[in-house]
Amino acid sequence: MKQKGIGKMSGHSNWPEWIYVAVVIALMCYVGAEAWNVERLIEHVPEDAKLITVTGQQWLWTFEHEDGTKEIGELHLEKGEAYRFEIHSKDVIHSFNIHEYTVLMDAVPGRVNHVWFSPNVAGEFDIQCREYCGLIHYNMRGTLFVEDKGA
Amino acid sequence: MKVIIGFGLVLALLIVLPSVQNVMAAGDTPGEYLDRKELIWGLFYRLMIVAFTVGTVVSGMIVWLVLRFRESNPKAKPTSYEAEGNW
Repeated sequence: MKQKGIGKMSGHSNWPEWIYVAVVIALMCYVGAEAWNVERLIEHVPEDAKLITVTGQQWLWTFEHEDGTKEIGELHLEKGEAYRFEIHSKDVIHSFNIHEYTVLMDAVPGRVNHVWFSPNVAGEFDIQCREYCGLIHYNMRGTLFVEDKGA
Repeated sequence: MKVIIGFGLVLALLIVLPSVQNVMAAGDTPGEYLDRKELIWGLFYRLMIVAFTVGTVVSGMIVWLVLRFRESNPKAKPTSYEAEGNW
């Protein structure tokens, strides 16, 4: 006997299933395209971004500006400027996080990771380690001071 | 042959995508920077809308299928091929 499609044998139509599959594929494409576009925008570092070298170690953050100025546990930035962070670790894996500015990047020993952002609101914000890194991980914190230009 | 073509396509994709990405991202004006927070949370909200819409449709359809095609449903009847025993 010649094999026929289930749809034809049962008198059912397969169209709803195909429409369903097409809608799911379309949604997946939309999700992928949106995510790709946002990732593309976020990963593109502005050419005039200032470099900040961030070093994580148990259990504090050290920051070094382009001009050699060093800060421990505190970071002073200017509002409206772009900053590129080079993130290092001296011992174990940490994660550099400024929650208010959606900045999150791992600090991995033997590797340099990058992230950038431009603070657009002046004030004080928390810097914290977001990867469990030992006994005093909970207190591996810092403060970001965003100041108006020329302040 | 197919493997070579497939490999070539993957390679092309790996080269083309970063190139397009680079070109599209170029040319931003100094002093005008994107708001990372707005962008990331905006993406999150849009994707949540998609996720919850799909979740609602899929779970709604499963509930409807289970209720409609249960044996105890008064409207239940065998399909033509079941009735004929024609598998």
